[in-house]
Amino acid sequence: MNERLEAMKARVRDREHAQFRQDTVVEPDNERYERESVSWHRRMSDCFRLLLEAETPLILDDERIVFTRTIKDTINPMEPPECRAAREEGNGSVGVGNISVDWDMAVAQGLLKRREFAAASLARMADDPEAVEAMTACIETIDAALDLAKRYADEARRIGRDDLAEMLDHVPANPPRTFHEALQSFKFMHSLTWLQPTAHITLGRFDQFMLGYYEADLAAGRITEEDAHDLLCELFISFNKDNDLYPGVQQGDNGQSIMLGGVKPADGSCAVNALTYLIMRVSHDVNMIDPKINLRVDKDTEMDLLIEAAKLTRRGLGFPQYANDDVEIQSLVNAGYDIEDARDYVVAACWEFIIPGVAVDVPNINAVNFLAAADVAIREGLAEMDDFDGIMDRARDHIFGQVDTYVDSWRKWKLYHPFPWYTVLMTDCLERGLDANRGGAKYYNCGIHGSGSANGADALAAVKTFVFEDGSIERGDLMTALVTNFENDEPMRLKLLNEGPKVGNNDDYVDSILVKLFDDFADACESHKTDIGRSTVVRPGTGSAMYYVSLVRCDQSEMMEPVVAGASADGRHKHDFIGSSLAPSPGVQIRGPVSVLQSFAKIDYSRICNGGPITMELADSVFRDEEAIRKVAMLIRTFAEIGCQQLQINTLNVDTLHDAKKHPEQHKNLIVRVWGWSGYFCELDEPYQDHIIGRHMLTM
Amino acid sequence: MLTGTIFDIKEFAVHDGPGIRTTVFLKGCPLRCVWCQNPEGLLPGPQVMTSPVGQRTVGTEYTSKELAGILNSQADILRRNEGGVTFSGGEPLMQARFLAEVIDQLDDLHTLLDTSGYATEQDFRLIASKVDLVYFDVKIIDSADLQQYAGVDSTMILNNIRLLGQLDTPFVVRVPLVPGVTDTNANLTAIAETVRGLNGLQRVDLLPYNRAAGGKYKACGMAFIVDYDEAQEVNANAEIFRNLGIDVRVA
Repeated sequence: MNERLEAMKARVRDREHAQFRQDTVVEPDNERYERESVSWHRRMSDCFRLLLEAETPLILDDERIVFTRTIKDTINPMEPPECRAAREEGNGSVGVGNISVDWDMAVAQGLLKRREFAAASLARMADDPEAVEAMTACIETIDAALDLAKRYADEARRIGRDDLAEMLDHVPANPPRTFHEALQSFKFMHSLTWLQPTAHITLGRFDQFMLGYYEADLAAGRITEEDAHDLLCELFISFNKDNDLYPGVQQGDNGQSIMLGGVKPADGSCAVNALTYLIMRVSHDVNMIDPKINLRVDKDTEMDLLIEAAKLTRRGLGFPQYANDDVEIQSLVNAGYDIEDARDYVVAACWEFIIPGVAVDVPNINAVNFLAAADVAIREGLAEMDDFDGIMDRARDHIFGQVDTYVDSWRKWKLYHPFPWYTVLMTDCLERGLDANRGGAKYYNCGIHGSGSANGADALAAVKTFVFEDGSIERGDLMTALVTNFENDEPMRLKLLNEGPKVGNNDDYVDSILVKLFDDFADACESHKTDIGRSTVVRPGTGSAMYYVSLVRCDQSEMMEPVVAGASADGRHKHDFIGSSLAPSPGVQIRGPVSVLQSFAKIDYSRICNGGPITMELADSVFRDEEAIRKVAMLIRTFAEIGCQQLQINTLNVDTLHDAKKHPEQHKNLIVRVWGWSGYFCELDEPYQDHIIGRHMLTM
Repeated sequence: MLTGTIFDIKEFAVHDGPGIRTTVFLKGCPLRCVWCQNPEGLLPGPQVMTSPVGQRTVGTEYTSKELAGILNSQADILRRNEGGVTFSGGEPLMQARFLAEVIDQLDDLHTLLDTSGYATEQDFRLIASKVDLVYFDVKIIDSADLQQYAGVDSTMILNNIRLLGQLDTPFVVRVPLVPGVTDTNANLTAIAETVRGLNGLQRVDLLPYNRAAGGKYKACGMAFIVDYDEAQEVNANAEIFRNLGIDVRVA
């Protein structure tokens, strides 16, 4: 990056712009909403308008792409009375989880065009009160956005930045005339999504919807690749500006993820283009936690692209994360998504596969805890004198039980929270007069993560080996050890931990149990064919998110009431971590990444579409020479060839992590992958730091 | 069927030969190089290592069929990615007959022997003629110096490297650069003169000293004692080789 960008990055990293944040507290006008019986739609749009009106246009230094938050807190209105009543009867409200809007359409049309569609629906559907409220609210958000854009233009003019003023006069109101305008329009509209809490709105297939503007500028001689590189660097830096204000479990968990590559929706042909490569280079050069890069690959992806991706992996940012088109597209089709939609998939925030524009899926309603299912099955089965098949049957029952519980609560959530600003940006919602969360979308499925799978399979395999086959551990002794957290049974614990068969070594003995757990999970989800709220299917997944901490540490588990696991027969103490998404159990001996891929390739992903990456750590010493980069690229190709679904490779040095814990001040910019996102190591809570160190102890 | 003792199987060993490879570490070594970074590979039998995360037994016995089975289970992937299997140690030739059985059962995999060359001529010939590539680790030419730093004399090693020049197997000479010990101009010159002109020599790799070499000694119940300055910059004098027309790389 050039000096201007380096300086800009340093200022953003130091959050110099935070000094311009106002102390103004914006309050929802709840009294009026109640008095005038204002609809939920218009309560939402009114809050959005109040926030935008409170914003002070801020153009920093030499910025060429603008928008900086000056109001710290977002607001949500009080729900209308009928919703409060329904809630008291046990109905939950369904917000929007993590979605991708239709950036392609929104940037291309501009807000004036969006407003025309809303106005037309409003006129056409004047007899439909829901449509009237929805469309009126959408128009109010568009007008508030246009007004703020105008004030930004005025500010630009006031400080003598006529170039910016002229651009802001034109976008986001109108279709962009240049690549630069497209980026500004996108930046403006995306920034405002953060002012309508509480969802994470992902950045989508950026190399697809920006390509036309880039190519047109190149053809007309308006831009060079280096100009585009600089603009993109500035945009990427800007994603890090206000991310401390975004809601998430930890700093960095904000869903600002880009999906690159893949295929074209219409015909499935390769969609990799010049921007795919350029964006990877930009991400490498910017070297910050946002935006997170995802890359779609398949068995035929060109080596050149994989080598660029491996170079980015070497950077140690914890991305790109890889998704396999050969597996995931079919998996989405099997779950009921139209083929054109399936081909267009992105990640919602971390890894959850979602379709831009048309899906308001909630892919993270909760997480199955495979370890808890296995552990309870083992304890019950040992006590009841089951044979091993009996224990496996119990594990299946417990997986069904967990899924049923989650689906039961989902079923009760029948209040659909309107989101006017997201509606403006979604496909065909204004055109049909529908809020995106109230009928405007095509898909409203729910998804459940699947965590602790390797630990669960290892625990079951250890019982099978030592209790039922070689008889080296007595039932009663194992029960006692589990109940007492191995207090007097350290030798047994080490035997279970070190001598039992482990997922990650391409060992069919234990991998077949892993496969069975996921088959059971898929069966449990598919058993819910009707009455799943407004969902058509329940999507099983392989992710763990923060559950790798919360499922084993009771005190952190309250947020989603998951099932917490005790000490387990894989030789794991109570409270010890489980792996992140798909990874060998922490602390087990593994031969390396090839076997890990082979183990996890055995899962039947054709029924498991929700996402959740195989997570592996490579020591930074792997990347000593250029030849090694090519080998990492070959490893990524292997991931696709043998039929895995999603992959996440982290690069780090375990000594650096230890030092960062001791001397945080010297490692302010140390970036690590936490789960589906990257963050600054020193800004994480300690359990997450410890989990990451634990993973890197076993770097391959 | 023979059995062998393995102390590690490490996949994706990117610095152990071409392509995506899996390295098998055979346990037991006749040398006692003071800079050895795999002390758990020295003794031939299984042993217990104790570290902050607990105890574990290092050294697993495999039949040749079992080991070949593990390697064959990923043969497609290794072949497809220009790689194969590397046999390292310890000194793999201490288990030469077992190793020969393993190699005979491999499913068309590229094989690489990583050896100190300290073996009988019979064992050396048995394996070196079976594998596709040899990494020959040459440390010190002078016999008295080698005795001091590795506990063996260099006669068998020098005989075997000359023997290798007469076989059809291509090889790479690898020199660990230990500051003030192996990296002296005199030793590097002696190595260059020993290997120049040998038939099948592809190149010489100079491997800078690994400052984490002593990391595993405590866990093995051993002391790591060296009489050289670990922090000293190594003398990676590639010119000595280049001047004799030898292709040389510094890793």
